[in-house]
Amino acid sequence: MTASAPSSAFPLGGSAPSPHLVHIRDLVYQVAGIFQPDNKLRLLEDRCAKRMEVLGVKTLQEYYECLTVKPIRQAELVSLLNEITIGETCFFRNQPQLDGLRNIVLPKILEARANLPLKHLRIWSAGCSTGEEPYTLGMMLLEETAGRLNGWTFEILATDLNERSLVHAKHGAYGAYSTRNLTAYHRQKYFVERNQELHVTPEVKAKVNFSRLNLFDDARMAFMKGIDVIMCCNVLIYFDGVSKRRVIQHFYNNLLPHGYLFLGHSESLYGISEDFRLVHLPSATAYVKTDKRQVNRQERP
Amino acid sequence: MSEELKEVLLRKLEGLEQMPSIPVVLGPLLRYFEQPLESLDVQAVVDLISQDKSLAAQCLHMANSPLFGRWQTVDSVRNAVVALGMQRMRDIALSCSLLKLSPDGHDGLDPTVFWEHSMGCALVSRRFARRIGFADHGKAYLAGLLHDLGIIVNLWILPQEFGKAVELARSQQVPLHEAELQTMGLTHCDSGRRLAERWGLTPELVEVVGGHHEVEKANSNRALLAVVSLSDLLCRMNALGHGFVEARQVDFREQPGFAVLLKECPTLETFDWARFTFELEGYLDEVHRVVSLLYRPK
Repeated sequence: MTASAPSSAFPLGGSAPSPHLVHIRDLVYQVAGIFQPDNKLRLLEDRCAKRMEVLGVKTLQEYYECLTVKPIRQAELVSLLNEITIGETCFFRNQPQLDGLRNIVLPKILEARANLPLKHLRIWSAGCSTGEEPYTLGMMLLEETAGRLNGWTFEILATDLNERSLVHAKHGAYGAYSTRNLTAYHRQKYFVERNQELHVTPEVKAKVNFSRLNLFDDARMAFMKGIDVIMCCNVLIYFDGVSKRRVIQHFYNNLLPHGYLFLGHSESLYGISEDFRLVHLPSATAYVKTDKRQVNRQERP
Repeated sequence: MSEELKEVLLRKLEGLEQMPSIPVVLGPLLRYFEQPLESLDVQAVVDLISQDKSLAAQCLHMANSPLFGRWQTVDSVRNAVVALGMQRMRDIALSCSLLKLSPDGHDGLDPTVFWEHSMGCALVSRRFARRIGFADHGKAYLAGLLHDLGIIVNLWILPQEFGKAVELARSQQVPLHEAELQTMGLTHCDSGRRLAERWGLTPELVEVVGGHHEVEKANSNRALLAVVSLSDLLCRMNALGHGFVEARQVDFREQPGFAVLLKECPTLETFDWARFTFELEGYLDEVHRVVSLLYRPK
């Protein structure tokens, strides 16, 4: 089906969802590529309510108009997306995704690279915000150094546009909220507590290279080469279709032939790019770089 | 796995008297619902369901679940039939009567997990069939619900051998049918086919029960088989499987069922698998809740 087709929805218990709420859900998916499943519709309603209060709008129908026909529609969509993704930044945010990367994707990458002389893995956290994601990846891969990554080295490139986020990330000190998913094991092994904050240990910090990068800076983007995995969560949702395609094209060129692209939870590339194919991992999805030469060969009569 | 063991197991399966018998109400319901929907009579359906009080109560539970699109409470079977329509009521009644089956031998696989998978697969098959414009979408729910019938047979007749297969699948994180082949030389498709035939299910349901892991080898009803096979896989990849993770990467476009179904449903070419997957996540909890309401283990 197409992204614009109407969908039935059944949030749990109680009354039927407002059709306007379902329209807003579908609009957000169609424009931004992030989907709110039925069990999150109530949450979406709360988030819309917050925005409606700011705008002084009384009904979901009016708010839907703010997102579609009013001159403020683009800015309002960004504000709503900010509400939707608020609080998403934390350590070990999406465990099934991390498990899939570690247990399924990593062995595939190592196998694909088995015959290459350089045993060095490059993972890029594109839009790393305040650093929770790249540090999580660092900890996860450090856990593999005696296992799957025995004999390998790795680095995590972490980029963001926002200078302030990067300062926070490099400092590496976190409060209770962003460390809420940490297990006692990780907390003890990779953090030091000081002034009621958890500080990332130098061992983890040494694995992550932070730098400021604009994903639309063609010259800089062309320099990002030889990447095995790109994590780009809740970033593309803010871009329009043309901009998304441009960034995805860069990602395609940045990745090695076996490369993987991971997006945020419930985020999709549907209708945006044919350069990546969707694959399912247990309770997670990922995108694999397609081999264009192979596609062309198949298309030839 | 030795050929001898396979022979022994096959002989056990042929001992039909040991096979679970069809739940009392399911047989008449199945026969009645074989007629075209438009010729079904509301009162006859109400009577069939109401002859078993606990079945009627369970049907009402299910009819009030958002999984069946109901938002205002229905308090009688008749109201449920009128409010939800004949097709949904058929799906509900068949689910509830099937869930009366309580497999023996709980060592290998938790029956609650089994029913959650079966319910999940039924719901996903129905949705998927509608989305891709599959002509026979009305049949998808029941096909999804029954597809793993062979697991009941295995729990019932081959509990020890099946327990080993489940253990292998769990520890190696591989699909159950692959582990069954390794340890038993046959799968729940082989045993399910025998039970489906014994219960007198329609040939297309027998095909689904017996062939959902080998869509490409089926001679008939391949599209329905493909709908169920892909839905089954989607459930297994999204925490609605057999109670363990299958550690693998799946590209749905490379599945045998995809190519089969594409011939019948060209819209599949542009199907948004990502969105469909995210939607499934939205009703996982409700599937757990409904099954825990309906299914009472022995």
